[in-house]
Amino acid sequence: MTKTQSRRKARERVATVLIAVPLTVGALVCALPFVWMVANSVKTRSEAVSYPPQLLPSQWTFAAYTKLFTELDFLHYMLNTVALVGIGLVGLLLTAMAGYGFAKFPGRALGWGFFAVLMTMMIPAQVTMIPTYLVVNAAGLTNNLVGIALPTLVSAFGVFLFRQFMITIPDSLLEAARIDGASELRIFFAIALPVSRPILIVQGLLTVIASWNSFLWPLILSSSQRTYTLSVGLSLLNKQITTDPTVQMAGAALMTLPIIVLFFLAQRHIVAGFTMSGIK
Amino acid sequence: MQSSPAPGGLAASDRRPLPRRPVARAASHRRPTSRWAGWGFALPALALVAVFGLMPILVAAGVSFTDLDIAGLAHPETIRLVGAANYVQLAGDPEFWAAFALTAGYVVVGVPLIAVLALAVATGLNRSDGRFFRLLRTLYFLPAVTALVAISVIWKYMFNGQFGLFNWLLDLVGLPAVNWLSDPASAQIAVGLVAVWRAIGLNSIILLAALQGVPGEQLEAAALDGAGPVRRYLYVVLPQIRFALGFVVMTTLIGWLQFFDEPFVLTDGGPVGATTSLSLFLFKRGFRLNEFGYASAGSIVLLVTIAAVTLIQLRLRKAHD
Amino acid sequence: MMHSRRAATALVATLILTTTAACAAGPAASTTPAGSASEASSAATYGKALTVWVMGDSATKFEQLIAPFETQSGIDVTVEAIPWDSVNDRLTSAVASGKGPDVTQIGLSQLASFLKGDALADVSADLAAYPNLAESNFPSAVASTALNPSGGVYSVPWIADTRVLFYRSDLLSAAGIAAPPKTWDELRADAKKLTDKAAKHYGYYIPQWDAPLPVTYTWQAGGEIMADGKIDVTSDAFTKAADHYLGLYADGSVPTASDFDQTTGFISGSVAMLVSGPYLAKAVAEQAPELDGKWSVATVPTDVSGTSLYAGSNLGVWKNTTNKVGALMLLNYLADPATQVAWYTSNGDLPAATKAYQDAKLSADPLVQVYAEQLKDARLLPVSTKWDAASSEILNALNKIAVSGADKGATLKALADKVATINAGN
Repeated sequence: MTKTQSRRKARERVATVLIAVPLTVGALVCALPFVWMVANSVKTRSEAVSYPPQLLPSQWTFAAYTKLFTELDFLHYMLNTVALVGIGLVGLLLTAMAGYGFAKFPGRALGWGFFAVLMTMMIPAQVTMIPTYLVVNAAGLTNNLVGIALPTLVSAFGVFLFRQFMITIPDSLLEAARIDGASELRIFFAIALPVSRPILIVQGLLTVIASWNSFLWPLILSSSQRTYTLSVGLSLLNKQITTDPTVQMAGAALMTLPIIVLFFLAQRHIVAGFTMSGIK
Repeated sequence: MQSSPAPGGLAASDRRPLPRRPVARAASHRRPTSRWAGWGFALPALALVAVFGLMPILVAAGVSFTDLDIAGLAHPETIRLVGAANYVQLAGDPEFWAAFALTAGYVVVGVPLIAVLALAVATGLNRSDGRFFRLLRTLYFLPAVTALVAISVIWKYMFNGQFGLFNWLLDLVGLPAVNWLSDPASAQIAVGLVAVWRAIGLNSIILLAALQGVPGEQLEAAALDGAGPVRRYLYVVLPQIRFALGFVVMTTLIGWLQFFDEPFVLTDGGPVGATTSLSLFLFKRGFRLNEFGYASAGSIVLLVTIAAVTLIQLRLRKAHD
Repeated sequence: MMHSRRAATALVATLILTTTAACAAGPAASTTPAGSASEASSAATYGKALTVWVMGDSATKFEQLIAPFETQSGIDVTVEAIPWDSVNDRLTSAVASGKGPDVTQIGLSQLASFLKGDALADVSADLAAYPNLAESNFPSAVASTALNPSGGVYSVPWIADTRVLFYRSDLLSAAGIAAPPKTWDELRADAKKLTDKAAKHYGYYIPQWDAPLPVTYTWQAGGEIMADGKIDVTSDAFTKAADHYLGLYADGSVPTASDFDQTTGFISGSVAMLVSGPYLAKAVAEQAPELDGKWSVATVPTDVSGTSLYAGSNLGVWKNTTNKVGALMLLNYLADPATQVAWYTSNGDLPAATKAYQDAKLSADPLVQVYAEQLKDARLLPVSTKWDAASSEILNALNKIAVSGADKGATLKALADKVATINAGN
């Protein structure tokens, strides 16, 4: 290595470190609430609200976690939540298909359809509550996990993402496949979906997160705890005025940790996938 | 958005040729199938969106012209059409306008702030692909994935005037305690801060991905031309990630016009209404009190506002492209 | 084709996972199966199933409470836990669709919505057959005229709650105060004495979210907050109450932070006195057992009277229930003083049935004695959706003046105007 090269390398490394410092500070700010959450979940009640606030507990206790499983039907809610995630992934497929349809088959009406889809992102959920309930009720799908998943099965955000991404798929590729005699559905599964892998992973992650955290529809569309999810189950612990902070934190921790693990494992694929064909 | 070829987008296995079949179709055959195919693909999702997304909007529009409340729900025959009365009431309600102004304020300050911060974080994270930086990526994403209840409890504890972390830190350096969530001005900042903190995660990941897609050759060419790092960034990188940036701005804009979660869980719109956004105003005034006609009118106003802003943004971008 | 097959497999796997999970999330756990057929002879007169809505944090214990009832009656009771924060959402969906439970717990602050939504059945004609549900078993605060402003009987009392004066006896004696304040004047004087701003110690705490407080002050000043179906914020009594509320702030005796936590504040001594409910006593006993003997409760300081709040929950029969008789049997069981005592032992909620207080478990507890004493002079907040709308306006106005320093005259005038609009509405 020449002197200039090694000097440049050293300067680059210094620059990297200089960037890493404020970045790490920022990351710690992002992480602090989580550390706090987990720490609080293993504290005793009085320690959890003590002043000055201690980050780490002086006494460890898993009482809050045991309370979660004894006072709440936690395992049951977790299974429901997992089921909802599964159904959500089916919805992801429908979303991808819609994005594909809007991207590759342009037409005036379809353009308006797309804007209509976008509009649904612009209304507060509370407004949709009663009409949605009446529809699901009429279809006989209340108190049923599929019915509960229906209102949020297709995400307007997702359709938008897929459309923008799939527009970049070269038409020539699709035409070639058509000439070869492939059916449209086959083209979708064979070409469009694989190319959209990065978006699939991103949207998949978002779908998993949203389904995992789902609260409003499982609450409204259930007529028994049978179909409650983790979020709803947790809110059962909220008393009218005072709430046990350690149990709240334990519940929140149980809900958050699986998602974080999932993200940590998946993030390599997300960003790596993007390097192959970025969203331009 | 031009369709440009996506370089290297296909994995090797995708390039396996499809089984050949005798070609006997006329070229004109393709046009009609295309259109129907488009509808076919979009239909299931469109149907769901129509039923669960558009239908409620139409219902809300209809309800906004009535005096529907919980009594009306029980006895639909007592519902009366009141014309534009709900809208008139809204227009004459100073709290509605205060909420509108507050939301606008948050959008004007918050959206650019998030865009800039997310870009800064993404640029920083893009510096290296090493294990440490990958860990940082996960940390930045954490706020985006947590359930709101956890975020609210944690931040409320940290902001608490008596035993909160922030006041304790201030105390350590000898500064006076701040009543973060009790003083109207600081409450607005505190709530905004949490919202920005929450929004950075997902947006920075999107921008990071876009940054990583910037073709290296262009940067090399610019460097050879003598452009310094700042110029390279401004004139090569930024234009390349134009779409992702626009996407981040648009979705954040739509989200922040409906600003609800943070003020709801942190301050319930307080103190004395200082952090009541438009959505929260509708929720408290309309939904909590079961005044559905009034709440629907407000929701339609919000919808029209968001749609207008989005259309303007889309037009601007089309013109720019 | 490699990828379509992979996609298809993934899809099938998802469906299998979904179906298995959905099946595993099978029938509800919990309720004890219906008892033997010994009571079968009268089984023909009522249905064998009931659904009950109970607020979330007490659902499991509730199931244990009603187990004897299920055995006795042969009715299978399904308990549905509803989160406190979501009651209104469930209510509106149920009203819109007509699908509800058979019996529901109703927080008294929700009662007006239930009545307006015409969700409950009028049981006035049926009460005679159920001795435990007779009005005379309960305090006058929950007479049917108070609970049902438009007549009829739509709910029966279940549990009670009230507000009393909590005080740190050690801090009071250190400041030379022998006994907790008995009158408004004494309260203000004592609060001032106990306040040491520099040490961040306050004499009195007023929760900024406490909507009933100004109302109880109005009652104590000898007036009404609601007269002839209209909210009144211009009466002399309300003005006196507002002055009392604001005066405590003006004295500097009250902390102005809106997120001040009363439990921590009371335990740490940051606040020496406050008006709160039995939940605070429980919290303090749990979190700070070392404070035992250093704090106590007393009935609220009086002005013209010492009226405090009567809160709690009632039980109602759903209008469209198909098992009205079974529902009433359950209500009768729950109103039995023995059941009420059992519930107090299990969940800590004060009984509504007055006879229950004669039980040793309650009469021996000095705190409960004070609660029972206060319950004798306690009243309901107005059961009216007008009140629901006005309560936050009143709180906002008072807090604006006390905490944000708004002009008193102007703010109160604006409040009066707003209340007039609310009164004029439906």
